[in-house]
Amino acid sequence: MIELKNIEKYYANKGVKSYILRHVTTSIKQGEFVSIMGPSGAGKSTLLNILGMLEEPTYGQYEFMGEDVVSLNERKRIELYRNHIGFVFQAYHLIDEMTVAENIEAPLLYKKVPGSERKSRVADILDRFNMVAKSDLFPNQLSGGQQQLVGIARALVAQPSIILADEPTGNLQSTQALQIMDLFKKLNEEEGITIVQVTHSEVNAGYGSRILHLLDGVIKEDVAVQQTV
Amino acid sequence: MFKLNLKIAFRNLLKHKTASLINISGLAIGLAASLLLLLYVQYQWSYDKQFGNSENTYHLMVNFYGTDKSITGTTPQVSNVLPLVLKEESPEIENISRVLWASRRLVANGQNSFKIEGRYADPDLLRIFKFDYLSGNPEKAFDDPNSILLTETIAKRLFGSVDVLNKTVRFENQANLKVTAVIRDLPPNFTYGFECLTSWKLYENLNGWPAESNWGNYSYFTLLTLKNGTDPNAFNQKIKNTIARNTVTKTIEAAPFVYPLEKYHLYGHFSNGIADGGQIEQVRIFIILALGILAIACINFMNLSTARSQKRAKEVGIRKTIGASRTSLIMQFLLESFILTIVSVVLAIVLVELFLPAFNGLLNTKLQISYDHPGNWLAVTGLILFTGLIAGSYPAFFLSSFNPVQALKKTIAFKSNFSLSFRQMLVIIQFGFAIVLIVATLILYQQLQYLKNRPLGYDSNALIEMPHEGNLYPKFDLFKDRLLNSRAVTAVTQSSGSIAFQNSNTSGLEWQGMREGDKKISFDLIQTTYDFLKTNNIRLIAGRDFSKGRASDSSALMLSETAVEQMGLREPLGQHVLFNGKQRPVVGIFADVLWDEPTRTLHPMAIVFNAENSDVITMRLNTTRNIRESIDQITKITKELNPDFPVEIKFVDSLVAEKFEHEQMLSIISNLFAGLSIFVSCLGLFGLSAFSAEQRTKEIGIRKVLGATITGIIALLSVSFVKTVMIAMVLAMPIGYLIMDNWLMQFDYRISIGPAVFILTGVSSILIALFTVSWQAYRAAKSNPVDALKYE
Repeated sequence: MIELKNIEKYYANKGVKSYILRHVTTSIKQGEFVSIMGPSGAGKSTLLNILGMLEEPTYGQYEFMGEDVVSLNERKRIELYRNHIGFVFQAYHLIDEMTVAENIEAPLLYKKVPGSERKSRVADILDRFNMVAKSDLFPNQLSGGQQQLVGIARALVAQPSIILADEPTGNLQSTQALQIMDLFKKLNEEEGITIVQVTHSEVNAGYGSRILHLLDGVIKEDVAVQQTV
Repeated sequence: MFKLNLKIAFRNLLKHKTASLINISGLAIGLAASLLLLLYVQYQWSYDKQFGNSENTYHLMVNFYGTDKSITGTTPQVSNVLPLVLKEESPEIENISRVLWASRRLVANGQNSFKIEGRYADPDLLRIFKFDYLSGNPEKAFDDPNSILLTETIAKRLFGSVDVLNKTVRFENQANLKVTAVIRDLPPNFTYGFECLTSWKLYENLNGWPAESNWGNYSYFTLLTLKNGTDPNAFNQKIKNTIARNTVTKTIEAAPFVYPLEKYHLYGHFSNGIADGGQIEQVRIFIILALGILAIACINFMNLSTARSQKRAKEVGIRKTIGASRTSLIMQFLLESFILTIVSVVLAIVLVELFLPAFNGLLNTKLQISYDHPGNWLAVTGLILFTGLIAGSYPAFFLSSFNPVQALKKTIAFKSNFSLSFRQMLVIIQFGFAIVLIVATLILYQQLQYLKNRPLGYDSNALIEMPHEGNLYPKFDLFKDRLLNSRAVTAVTQSSGSIAFQNSNTSGLEWQGMREGDKKISFDLIQTTYDFLKTNNIRLIAGRDFSKGRASDSSALMLSETAVEQMGLREPLGQHVLFNGKQRPVVGIFADVLWDEPTRTLHPMAIVFNAENSDVITMRLNTTRNIRESIDQITKITKELNPDFPVEIKFVDSLVAEKFEHEQMLSIISNLFAGLSIFVSCLGLFGLSAFSAEQRTKEIGIRKVLGATITGIIALLSVSFVKTVMIAMVLAMPIGYLIMDNWLMQFDYRISIGPAVFILTGVSSILIALFTVSWQAYRAAKSNPVDALKYE
């Protein structure tokens, strides 16, 4: 599904290049649950952003579902991205002015899904996440865990083939964090959604099937996880 | 999508109440101001275009040539015979009509009598202008010279009805006229407006002398329409020599030409034969003011939205990560600005309706918003689109360009040189405009005061005048005696014209020792009898006033100081001056009288004894008595002696005040708009300072923890704004100086621009700006640092 070849990312500042990613080459297959780990500043988030097409690599080749992302024009890229990628953030990043239901509906609007289908999909997902009662609340009326659930619901509603999660549990208490990770695992196993998450937590990484260890922009280790749970 | 964006836009408006209030009120004020001005502009644009066929209607004018064949003057008035000759000679002319200047005419229906604006015109005038007839036939209205055409209001005032065909009106106490047509009231923006129209033939019949052909008397306006397909330039070429061919004496070389009536009002000023403006200059000033104020309001909007961009950056980032394209974001931000604009436009229309009466009073117009006119709705829609686009474009394009990753990480370089300097630049434009207006206002005010304080040379206080008419001619001496005996007045005089404004001049006076060219000196001319100096309180410098005791005084004259100086007379008293074919002794020298516009230099003046030419009776009220009682007494005496005419008493000081009307109006307008633009600019500054304080909450917190004082923090937050205003000042003041210096050039009598204006402008604008921003700075400085730092 994802092929990265020799991805490099650096910022040039007054002639000095500061590298974020170096020679990253890897591939992620449909249905995998990959955790990217590493110390702060290792380039985890940058790698995730490149995967999510929010940033462009300075150099290298990125194929997403057989399409060469780097050479695509903006419109095609947004198209590809809308249809296949869902993003989940550490800080939830819900739109404050929108209600829960509206937040979830927003990606469908951009995807130009017809109104009736939108309504039914939003209702469906609210139901699945047990949030029907909260659909008219605004994000600041929810707890952190609930907000992240909305964030995940919003990522799922467009029926993506891959979810990219940047420390999804970083702001949550441990019980809520476990709920979220369980949800990811369920989505991965039952619906076959590919998941790539950035995490600091060994426990969270344990939910996945594979761990990429990043250090100073270089993949140091690429290991399969022994399923213990 | 649209519905959701709409909902969110409204939520945003309600959530950020201060910003919304600033945006909406600023835009509404800006829009209201520009709507008012544009209404006036439209009023000016539609001048003389109301009665159909205006594009084919022309004004007959005449160019005068000097000895070197260059055009020395242009006048819209022609002789009484030129239009007749042109009509006879030119098949191109469809209709042509002479029109007399409007004057107050007495109309009466029995005891019900009053004066109205009346004109005389040829029957063709009713074919040139398609008036709106309530009754009567324009083709036949003037078949009989003893006919009169009334407007609706006058018909109602005279007869209480508009159904008045064939009723009789007593006209000027001289003739009985039949009403042959009633038309709807004429709009005020019509150069040839009137309340009653009578035929040219009647003018000739009543006065005699206008019937005689006179090529030398350039007094009459003439309008004409040309047949379809006539090229006006070719026509002008053809009629060029008409005057020369028909006149024997070649003292004045003059060539007639036709000028489009549509342009006559706006581009009616000619120099060297070329139309070089007129009312259009005022219209241009108004358009610039309108756009300037609107721009200031739009800038507020842009600045506040971009200042808020940090808050909205997150939203942009999220929207982009969930699949929003840049276009959809631009549409969203534009939608928000359109909603704001629409709300503001509605508010602006309410404001316009509220202030229109006052504005009309100020400009002497009857402007109104016509809601049933589709063109106006189109214009308002256009205005909304324009304003919404201008106001919303910068935030829309700026905000939507954010990179989502950076926006979410809050690492966008908000203080990058570009965005800050752009915002500052906009503030500089706002304040620059406001400062130019303040400079203009102060200089206008100074000039106005300077003009008002200019000595008149007579005492306009407690001085009244009335028309000399009817029985007051044969009974003048009796009238004067009775007035003086009543002790309501202390002096009475008759004269050829009012003392308040220039109404007559003459050249060609001859005296001993005159130089070559002195014949061309133009003298202000007043013809009067006894007590003129006494009544008007004009200071006598040498000699004496005309005196009843001396028979020779009935052919004497007096000269002003300036006249003596310009004539080069060493010993003026006793000298003789030839005027109207008579040698007249100079009996008195009086101090200069400011008779012309107060902006002009003093002219030489001659006061000539002539009992035959009198239009005005002037009286000095007895100030030791109650003025109201005196006026009542004067009215009673006048009514007794001259019962056929209404008594019209005017105070000379209010007549003098009318001379300042234009400058006064400009002064009020500039005051108003300078105030508005400063206010709207400050609204914006207030909003900006609020956001700047908010953005720097953390910095302020840290500084306070480190021991900064409140004053120190206020200074820190205010200084950048004050700097911006100072840059605006430096840039705007020279512009203001140049504009106003240029404006003052049109006055002979003018102030010189001193540094005080600029010091005052500078100090006041900095104080205003400081006052505006320091409130927010103070609030930020007073806040508890713990609150500020807790959130990070």
